[in-house]
Amino acid sequence: MQTKRVSEQLAWLALALAAAAGALAQEPRQWLERMNQALTSRNYDGVFSHWQDGRVEMLRIVHRNQNGQVTERLASLDGSGREFIRTGTELTCYLPDKRTVLVETQPAGAGSLLASFPTFDEKSAGFYDIRELLRTRINRRDTRVIAVTPHDEFRYGYRLWIDETTAMPLKTQLCDAHGRIIEQVVFASLTVANHIPDSAFRPEVATDGFQWLRNDPSPLAAGVPNTSALWSALKLPPGFHMTVRSAQVLPGASDPVAHLVFTDGLASVSVFVESRSAQVPADQQSVSGVASVGSASAFSTVIDGHKVTAVGEVPPATVRFIASSVKRSEAPLAAGATGH
Amino acid sequence: MNEELDSQLSAMFDDELPPGECELLARRLSRDAVLQARWSRYAAIGAAVRGGNVHLSGRVAQKVSVAIVAESALASTPLPRARDGARAASPWLRGIAGVAVAASVAALSILWLQGGYSDAPAPLVARAPAPVAPAAETRASYVVPRSAEQRMTVPATELANYVVAHSEFSTPVSRRNLLSALMASEPAAAGSAEQSQSLGPNDDPNPHADQAR
Repeated sequence: MQTKRVSEQLAWLALALAAAAGALAQEPRQWLERMNQALTSRNYDGVFSHWQDGRVEMLRIVHRNQNGQVTERLASLDGSGREFIRTGTELTCYLPDKRTVLVETQPAGAGSLLASFPTFDEKSAGFYDIRELLRTRINRRDTRVIAVTPHDEFRYGYRLWIDETTAMPLKTQLCDAHGRIIEQVVFASLTVANHIPDSAFRPEVATDGFQWLRNDPSPLAAGVPNTSALWSALKLPPGFHMTVRSAQVLPGASDPVAHLVFTDGLASVSVFVESRSAQVPADQQSVSGVASVGSASAFSTVIDGHKVTAVGEVPPATVRFIASSVKRSEAPLAAGATGH
Repeated sequence: MNEELDSQLSAMFDDELPPGECELLARRLSRDAVLQARWSRYAAIGAAVRGGNVHLSGRVAQKVSVAIVAESALASTPLPRARDGARAASPWLRGIAGVAVAASVAALSILWLQGGYSDAPAPLVARAPAPVAPAAETRASYVVPRSAEQRMTVPATELANYVVAHSEFSTPVSRRNLLSALMASEPAAAGSAEQSQSLGPNDDPNPHADQAR
């Protein structure tokens, strides 16, 4: 009888330990969720340094979420003096060094900014090791250091210094699979406020004489067929799946591009498909190339007479893999993803 | 140029030369015109030193007639990628600040490299380095002879548009980083390149990385 009681107690103890271990494993992920929530829902005004490839630039970010309406201003404090201002689904890029303003508007129904985030779930977690490294202080704030390490070389990892009180990331590092830092952001100052006035979102750039370029947010209304349903990827890196399929006209362009989005829940890759311009010489129809913009990789190739370009905050091999796997079908594919 | 020197230069461009050797080579680079020309070529053809074919997208965007073109990029000074951080790179970068190391790249510093998916080899097309020092003005542009080959570039503006459009579907941290990179992606004017490349002790991410590991 006593043996049975001891066995029961041991079983309960094992259960409790397992639960505790599970909770412990959950906690770093919860910090990631809190961080994403804080970045999108809080009102804040901060100055941070952006380091990448040996270059440092100071930027200011002002972010406000007022009843679900996101307004955000990102301004370069030195160098180019560029500013990006987002209001709802419209992103305005002020480029004083180019005397140009680009206005990017998401097509109607494309969903709000908040709705377009990748969803990090149990399945996604299988492709990363997420753990808390240590607790430390930055700018006299207590932070949790969370490391997100990819299990393979198809994605990058992160180290995040998350403020315990506000869940804001005071410092972030993007790292490759070997832990090498690719990009770093460190806040020099950060104010979390209840209210941020409209005046904080006005550009400081005087745009007299600037060229304004807008995209057409509703290309389909102009009678242009949505060809995005014709395109899909035959193969994807482990863990990636399609989440968005849409068509849009980019600023300054005349024709719409099909836009497919693939994600593993943390990293995402966009694939843009457009008809080759008649201006492109015929002898350039079958060559591919890779590129980088900051930590983002891009790969462009030509498939069935269409230019296919993959862009994402992933290693070059991943954008190459995905772009090269894109294929066109004769009939529109069944909606396997969020279509717009 | 002897093979060893060539190899050292290649390693320096790839950020694989030890810092001490970098400094020595940088000093030599600052006074050796032949070496400068070779370095400029490396800067221009980027990864071609590893055997790939390269085209720098220094052209004005074809579809979009906007000001985001190469006009100021022609005066920019892109520096080689410091894959392991600026700690190793900055000393010798400073050492060669007066040397014309820049290739003309498109606005937003977008470097397109030919991939291996073409049946035909692509041509090497490169422009002259941007004149950072007066001496650089004497070097005319050069074009590697064109053969019956193909090349393709995506205009820089178009790629910038893609990045902006893509950022809408990234995580908050990724989006902020992508847009920040676009903000900072074009090198400053040649004269200020050194400043923009230099890191203060608080800005070097590597010590923090060690701490976090």
